[in-house]
Amino acid sequence: MTERSTAGADSAGSVAADPLRARFDRARVFSWAQTIGIVVLLAIIFATPGFLAGPSILSLLTTVSFIGCVAIGMTLITISGNIMSFALGATVGVTAMVFILAVNWLGFGPGLVVGLLIGSLLTGLQGLLIGWVRANPIIVSIAALALIYGVTQAFTEKGTIYADPGTVPASVKGKIAGIPIEFIVFLLSAVVAQLILSATRFGRNLFMVGSSFRAAEAVGVSTWRTVTGAYLWAGFFTSLAGIMLAIRYDSANMDYGVAYDYDAIAAVLVGGTAIGGGQGSALRTLAGAMVIASVQVMLLLQGLRQEWQYLAAGLIVLAVIILQARGSGR
Amino acid sequence: MQEVLSVRGVSKAYPGVTALEDVSLSLRPGEIRAICGENGAGKSTFVKILMGIVQPDSGSIDINGQTQVVRGPQQAQSMGLGLVAQELSLAPHLSILDNIWLGSAEVPFLHRRASFRVRAKQALETLGLTDWDLDRPVSSLTVGQRQLIEIARLLARDARVLILDEPTATLSDADIERILGILKGLRTQGRSIIYITHRLGEVFELCDSITVLRNGQHVATQPVSETTREGLVEMMLGRSFEDMYPKAPAHADQSVRVVVEGLDVPGTLNKFSMTAPRGRIVCIAGQIGSGANMVTRALAGLVPSATGSVTVDGRPMRLGSVPHAVARNVLFVSDDRAAEGLFPQMTVLDNLIATRLDASARMGVLSWPALRRMAASLAERVGVDRHRLKSQSIALSGGNQQKLLFGRALASADAGVLLMNEPTRGIDVGARAEIYRIMRELCDLGSTLIMTSSDLEEVVGIADIVITLYRGNVVARYEDEAIAMSSILADITHPTQAVA
Repeated sequence: MTERSTAGADSAGSVAADPLRARFDRARVFSWAQTIGIVVLLAIIFATPGFLAGPSILSLLTTVSFIGCVAIGMTLITISGNIMSFALGATVGVTAMVFILAVNWLGFGPGLVVGLLIGSLLTGLQGLLIGWVRANPIIVSIAALALIYGVTQAFTEKGTIYADPGTVPASVKGKIAGIPIEFIVFLLSAVVAQLILSATRFGRNLFMVGSSFRAAEAVGVSTWRTVTGAYLWAGFFTSLAGIMLAIRYDSANMDYGVAYDYDAIAAVLVGGTAIGGGQGSALRTLAGAMVIASVQVMLLLQGLRQEWQYLAAGLIVLAVIILQARGSGR
Repeated sequence: MQEVLSVRGVSKAYPGVTALEDVSLSLRPGEIRAICGENGAGKSTFVKILMGIVQPDSGSIDINGQTQVVRGPQQAQSMGLGLVAQELSLAPHLSILDNIWLGSAEVPFLHRRASFRVRAKQALETLGLTDWDLDRPVSSLTVGQRQLIEIARLLARDARVLILDEPTATLSDADIERILGILKGLRTQGRSIIYITHRLGEVFELCDSITVLRNGQHVATQPVSETTREGLVEMMLGRSFEDMYPKAPAHADQSVRVVVEGLDVPGTLNKFSMTAPRGRIVCIAGQIGSGANMVTRALAGLVPSATGSVTVDGRPMRLGSVPHAVARNVLFVSDDRAAEGLFPQMTVLDNLIATRLDASARMGVLSWPALRRMAASLAERVGVDRHRLKSQSIALSGGNQQKLLFGRALASADAGVLLMNEPTRGIDVGARAEIYRIMRELCDLGSTLIMTSSDLEEVVGIADIVITLYRGNVVARYEDEAIAMSSILADITHPTQAVA
């Protein structure tokens, strides 16, 4: 009898070990494929003539910052288990518009505050709908997209609005130590977002809600507050992109930010944030955004048209989604 | 006498789990064999292999002395094997006749012969059901009568070996008596029966011999006449009853901590009241649908529609808010680990500290060193390897996952109130013993445990106080020595007698 029972205990032990090994193997295959993919991409990128020249690197650092800030915001939404938002690109546009209007009317400093507020609130409101009413996040974001475009088009007939001369100080348009200010803002955003995610209670709650909504409720996490918070922050980082675009061009147009949602989610996924939620990091999104932007610059330098950029981004997203599905064994 | 069924050395492994390991069994004509074992012992895998639903990795099956490969249920039927599965498999809107022949390999496509009617009638007569109308729809029958149709179905197909998987789980006493009588009658006709049940009383009343499985392995096969009830339980558990369920040395302070008055959940729970003292395990026993699991869920704040008055340590607790319950140190361990317990992709560490982020945060900023220390000490208390803190929680075994959830629920310095539904569901015997030990330790530290369980053996073994429920109403309350399996079973299945 006693011998039997110890044998039973042993087999129970091996039972526990086996699925563990299988999962680790899958995860390892996934991370290897990801690493190899990125290395190959970088090799092609650096082999592209003219890529390492100063001007194209600088323009890369600037363009990546706009998409990058949106991607940082998207990371929070994805981690919260709400997949993605289709309204962030439109939020970029509307923030730029409101920012220019506010700067012309109230001055630069207040304009900055108004711009950040409008972006955060617009997105935070969607978060409230999703977290409190439990509305489907994709549908909410599509509805918000339509509403934002509809309302702004009703109010702005001309399309583009321009900042009054001299309202935007020249000091925010330059470089610091040779690095474009936009890129510095992007880096800071990534660091701040990462701190929110890993060092605050809200950040941990966000992972819990994304990992298992019901389990989060059962341990007493206020799920609607957490989801709303994620969207508020997403809106904040997104409006940074809108404001930076407006500063750069001294103007605003609803076309700013078109297709940013797509590039942003591509950056989030390439960075390794799980589309199902509960897993991810802002710093990795930073890396993902760099990869996506590098590919786009490379395609431009190779003389390929815009359409090819969409194709490339689409292929990258597909590849990563397939790898993620394999990696998690789903 | 030649064996009608002989299974030799059957093994089956699923990815990561060995469900059966080298199990053998042989059955004589006219023998009723009980197969006993805890949940997860391998009983259902064994049945699936016999019926060809699952193919074994190794081993062989002889039927009437011939080695056979059973490729599927229809082939098993044609070899004389028949199964009454745990869930009824009748089509309620079809007639008794149609149900008896449903899925039979003999019936040609779109064709009804008179001979099928005759054989169905004969099958019913064998069971003593001479006056049943074959064209009645099954939906007009009671659950007990439907179970008889399931058996008639096997007889009409001339099954020589009947496999019954928990046939009495949902039946009333009168129906159980009737079924047992019918099965004894089948034995005298030389039919063999494999009888799988949790109800040990039926084993001793009905069966000739017992095979015990544990963790997928064959433990023993012996005649019922040589088996005692205690011996059987110990074979199933793999340890002595006392060893499995540590008894409580009475806690010094038995002051009442939780008072529930008039707890109502529309549709499921009716004016439920109880008190729970410090250092004790209170078990709310009831069948599925009795509302037992609603009590714990409502106390945890997970039922928005719950009303009633609850005080914890003298302070009133608002229902319907989990954060409020957590603030009162009332914590919930769900029976649904996958959907409501774990954060699967997150680490063991993240999972352990899930309820204690507030305590280690200043202005919302976490102190990771403090959290790490807390997680390490919690892991130690519930017996989870400290080196696993960085693993994904989904990679742990079921038992370790459950320990993790326990750890999360004790992540408070003060002894709290723990609410648990089915704390050992889907957990192997070794881990169960450890979970009971942890539960007792918590009591020693002054916690109050309120749990539900559908496993009566567990209820009797671990509970200090048992409250029985039937259809949302309290039937009785038992304490210590007054706790007995028979009265609990009677209460939760037919309350009218107990109330009267």
